[in-house]
Amino acid sequence: MDPSAVAVVATPLSAAPLVADRTLPVHDALTPLLPDGALVRGRSVACTGVTATSLALALTATAAQSGAWLAVVDVGWLGVEAAAELGVPLERLVRVDTDPAAGRRRAGAWAELMAAVLDGFELVVTSVPAAAGPALVRRVHQRVQARGAVVVVVGETAAWSSDMTLRTLAATWEGVADGYGYLRARRVVLESSGRRVPRPRRAELWLPGPSAAVEIIPVPAPAGPVPVPSVLRPAG
Amino acid sequence: MDRFITVWCPDWPIAAAGVADRAAIVLRANRVVARSATAAADGVTIGQRRRDAQRCCPDAELVDHDPDRDARAFEPVARAVGAFAPRVEIVEPGWLHLGARGPARYFGGDRSVAAQVASAVAAVTPLPVGVGVADGRFAAGVAARRAGEGEPLIIPPAATPEFLAPLPVAWLHELAEIDAELVGLFARLGLRRLGDLAALDAGTVLARFGPPGARAHHLAGGADPRPPGGAAPPPALRSARAFDDPVDTAGPLVFVAKQLADELVAELADEGRVCTRLVVTAETDHGERSERAWYRASGLSAPAMVERVRWQLDGWLRDGDLTAGVVLLALAPDEVRGDDGDQLGLWGGRSAADERATRAVTRLSGLAGEQAVLVPAWRGGRLPAERYAWIPAGTTDLTDPDDTAERVRPGLEQPWPGRLPAPSPSVVLDQQRPAVLADAAGQPVRVSGRGELSAPPATLSVDGRPPIVVTAWAGPWPLEEQWWDPARQRRLARFQVVTADGVAHLVLAERRRWWVAAAYE
Repeated sequence: MDPSAVAVVATPLSAAPLVADRTLPVHDALTPLLPDGALVRGRSVACTGVTATSLALALTATAAQSGAWLAVVDVGWLGVEAAAELGVPLERLVRVDTDPAAGRRRAGAWAELMAAVLDGFELVVTSVPAAAGPALVRRVHQRVQARGAVVVVVGETAAWSSDMTLRTLAATWEGVADGYGYLRARRVVLESSGRRVPRPRRAELWLPGPSAAVEIIPVPAPAGPVPVPSVLRPAG
Repeated sequence: MDRFITVWCPDWPIAAAGVADRAAIVLRANRVVARSATAAADGVTIGQRRRDAQRCCPDAELVDHDPDRDARAFEPVARAVGAFAPRVEIVEPGWLHLGARGPARYFGGDRSVAAQVASAVAAVTPLPVGVGVADGRFAAGVAARRAGEGEPLIIPPAATPEFLAPLPVAWLHELAEIDAELVGLFARLGLRRLGDLAALDAGTVLARFGPPGARAHHLAGGADPRPPGGAAPPPALRSARAFDDPVDTAGPLVFVAKQLADELVAELADEGRVCTRLVVTAETDHGERSERAWYRASGLSAPAMVERVRWQLDGWLRDGDLTAGVVLLALAPDEVRGDDGDQLGLWGGRSAADERATRAVTRLSGLAGEQAVLVPAWRGGRLPAERYAWIPAGTTDLTDPDDTAERVRPGLEQPWPGRLPAPSPSVVLDQQRPAVLADAAGQPVRVSGRGELSAPPATLSVDGRPPIVVTAWAGPWPLEEQWWDPARQRRLARFQVVTADGVAHLVLAERRRWWVAAAYE
């Protein structure tokens, strides 16, 4: 028998995502905010406002649960236990920081790290250095698209323009009063806007809910302390 | 069937690190790679996790695995053996083969050439060395390992099948890099010894297990792993680069080697082949030459080729007394075989995403430094900053499910009474920041030892920023830790404070001052 007839040509592990899907899943409570009902690969999302950090974690948690790895670049303040409570699998969480002594070269160092991170991680949560120039940002954007990763930017930076921005319109903590109780849950109103969102969408949800994870609010809530009409848009 | 002499230096990383005389363990990604004789006597085995090894041998010195150091230290041994035969192949530092036919004829027999090789190596390194002679690299390798510190083990020609037959099939994974899953499958099917596997019909084995199984079957029978009836001639492939300006540092050479290796692997892959024996040649302007063969049973990938080029050039450039720079670097595949695709690890455990992430972590550690690439590890405690620590990713095996489970999950039976319940803060400061919690009159709020506040808090100012109105608060939850240790004791009171901007803070009163330790953002 001719062995070469049975030899299988080895296909090198390509850098392109193995999953043919163009999206990554998100928690049900967040789907009303996203035009495709999921995170689209190659795009970036900015989380701004007082819920930025936990929202970034909540956005990436579901995709990480299904096997993707999450890299956190220059978000040194991340609370690990909060991440775990929001559903991020800690065994696939890696943190990378640029050298604090980098000074003016920090933006370049950040871009270099992002390039290496995007090679191996499908989910990235990062804060963009203010001094990042447009050429640098464009290169990182291209890398994100080429690798089919999803980048979630915490905080608003003029330098980085995201495909979608999630703004916090209102955030109310429940459980704590005048010296009594303890923090139980937070009701937030989020709005998504940006060039990938034809019409701004709003959603009200628990972040975190009583179970410490993201939760859907079962009925549309009446006006809270900040009179914002709470509208639950159907997905799509 | 070619006869080979194998020289095997057990636990070579220990010898390279120079710690053979004491209890020492060499670790890579938290696993034992090599151990000194003292540590081995205490029960440390290769592949053990660091913690288990330390339990066996608590005062062992821990050394990080450094393949470059191993390769540099092995140079003298390779050169000493090279004096006997032109055809020396290094598999990895500590393990090499040489063709036995020529030297045996010259020195008058297998036994005398083996003894000569053993004494030549012993002159260079004081550690025990195993020498084996047999038909084929696999059998010679097994013989060398079984010879141990004693006399060289010589397997007469054609006696290989009887020698191999009683040995467990695990040797296929140990030495010939047959996939562990496949070897496990053999064992589960009742083929526990190499003889059992060799007794099966070759066609059946090929049909049932595919090309990797056929290769294992050949090896178990003591036959040449190359397909019988016309070995594929070595292709006339050779990737070479000539430099106009002589190069005398390893860096640019390794860079070029990477390109050459990529080209070579790509061309071979196009033909469905993989290189098992690579000859790396480097020549200087004055004709000094470094030529070495590198062998790996499962085939050399491009990164593996580059690693070996680096090993070879590092030692040569440093100790070779060169009088000129390098002008030629060539990689020639000397032996190839059909690629079974068994390098991909089609079965079990690691997904492609895991592989990509681990590779990226290695690269990031190189870029940003080992201390800058971190993973979370559970510690436990009552304050948010204590619950989890960030440890360098290089100190753990990211893909070992047991390791990661131990690392991230809270241990059993550790409720930590006195900690604040979920939800945990999403922003945790590793150093608590000074703050001012003031009452309606602007005076800092005071907390008595019994947990009574001087006045309800009205504003919170963090780090000297403008004060924000407090809309809700709760506490105090007093905490007294390590009261028995005057250096480490802490007495503090915790408060959850919600300010008008919707942010909740974890505020501490410690040593009559206010601090913010975390925020729920």
